[in-house]
Amino acid sequence: MRIIEAGASNQHYWSGLWAKRSLLFYLTRKDLIVRYKQTAVGVSWVLIRPFLTMVVFTMIFGSIANLDSNGLPYGFVVFAGVVPWFLFANLFGETSACLITNGGIMKKLNCPRLIFPLSILAVGLVDFFVSFALLIGMMFWYHIHLGWQIIFFPFFILMIAATATGIGLIAATLNARYRDFQQLVPFLLQLGMYLSPVGYLNQIVSPKWEWVYSLNPMAGIINGFRWTLVPQAITIYTPGLLYSIGFSIAALIIGIIVFRSAEAGFADTI
Amino acid sequence: MTFAIKVENLSKCYRIQHGVPAGSLKELVEHYRRKFFSKLMPRLGDSQPDPYEVTYEEFWALKDVSFEIPKGAKLGVLGRNGAGKSTLLKILSQTAEPTSGKIYIDGEISSLLEMGTGFHPELSGRENVFLNGAVLGMGRTEILRKFDEIVAFSEIEKFIDTPYKRYSSGMQARLAFAVAAHLEPEILILDEVLAVGDMSFQKKCLKKMEEISDSGATIIFVNHGVDAIKQFCTHAIVLDHGQLMLDTDDIDQAIALYLGDDA
Repeated sequence: MRIIEAGASNQHYWSGLWAKRSLLFYLTRKDLIVRYKQTAVGVSWVLIRPFLTMVVFTMIFGSIANLDSNGLPYGFVVFAGVVPWFLFANLFGETSACLITNGGIMKKLNCPRLIFPLSILAVGLVDFFVSFALLIGMMFWYHIHLGWQIIFFPFFILMIAATATGIGLIAATLNARYRDFQQLVPFLLQLGMYLSPVGYLNQIVSPKWEWVYSLNPMAGIINGFRWTLVPQAITIYTPGLLYSIGFSIAALIIGIIVFRSAEAGFADTI
Repeated sequence: MTFAIKVENLSKCYRIQHGVPAGSLKELVEHYRRKFFSKLMPRLGDSQPDPYEVTYEEFWALKDVSFEIPKGAKLGVLGRNGAGKSTLLKILSQTAEPTSGKIYIDGEISSLLEMGTGFHPELSGRENVFLNGAVLGMGRTEILRKFDEIVAFSEIEKFIDTPYKRYSSGMQARLAFAVAAHLEPEILILDEVLAVGDMSFQKKCLKKMEEISDSGATIIFVNHGVDAIKQFCTHAIVLDHGQLMLDTDDIDQAIALYLGDDA
């Protein structure tokens, strides 16, 4: 016997999410299949976008601006920034829009709304590992050897996922009522790509300003990500890294709380 | 008598907006200028009302509705547009929360609130059967087991690997109903499912609904055509402006009230 009343949809939330795992699977599958339907090169788009970004950034930051790469091939420096950044940007961008893109299902179907960000996370991780494979291929090409530090790599992936999903959930909640966020988020991501160490190494920022630069949580995360691949060339800025860890955990917790608190009204406000 | 669903004093309130809020910065400035003047210097205030003033009003889509559906019943929900039918179904299928009141539900609910929820136009019919099945709450093995039956029922075997967007609306409706009809729910909510599809397919749908009902399921059926209600339902409620007008097992009486309302 179940009882429906105001506020009752909060009971059994997490077990309800587990019960809908089959839906999660098919939503993810749908997103993976549908994206590249009727495109000529299909799934290759997953690689083309980061790859071309890498080429352009390498030209701008490496060849024209001639920034220091600590002895690393510049193309590799950029790609090791582009790959985690794209994971972040995809997760944040799509999560913030998830209530609108899934509006049709949401209005008709009673399901825990967190299922949408979860399927976005799954799709984002698939994309990530495809381009990550290319990054590893690049390391072979440049004869860069992996060290034991690579064991910390999943840790940084978790941080990216937590940060992007966390602030994405907050943006999605606000987006349900204020569509301004639909304009704001892509713009923020465009700016963020330059504010984060995607096209350059953190080390080019003068030590005096390093703490200011690290206020962007992605600064510490991308630097740490590079460190797991090439520890000999990257130094970790500990306060920045600790800040990023704290930020990602806080973002995820606050994001879930905010999203959950507004969830019951999504179908009515969207 | 045991009940499948018991609704107690159910109400749902929406806040509706009157007026158009300022859309541009210029309008927003104008709005606040008027607000400022009307507060501080009422004598100097503009004679015309502020065009960007937004007011809100409470709208009760459902007000104090109570009824009971016995197990195995076939309930028809009648009411004109705006009577509160969709709101009631939304609350029953838990896509919207009630403002106040309680509903007791005994059994698993499946709802088909609009044909083709969760169908994706770019996917083939086959892929959509799996996606929609998952949306409606079927597991993978269950869908696999029923797949052939679903396709046969929809009569579109030939086009099952064609993208859904190339289907005619009749084909889309047939496939959607076919998936939903193969659920094994204890309580099934059907909203305007017969709106598309030709006569013979509608007959087939009704027959399938009878079968589902015979297996012991409780069915809640919303339809604007009274003939299908008359033929199918054992109970009926009539809603008007969010209020329950009638709760009866005399279908003819309910239909008469509903049609009388129309006049």
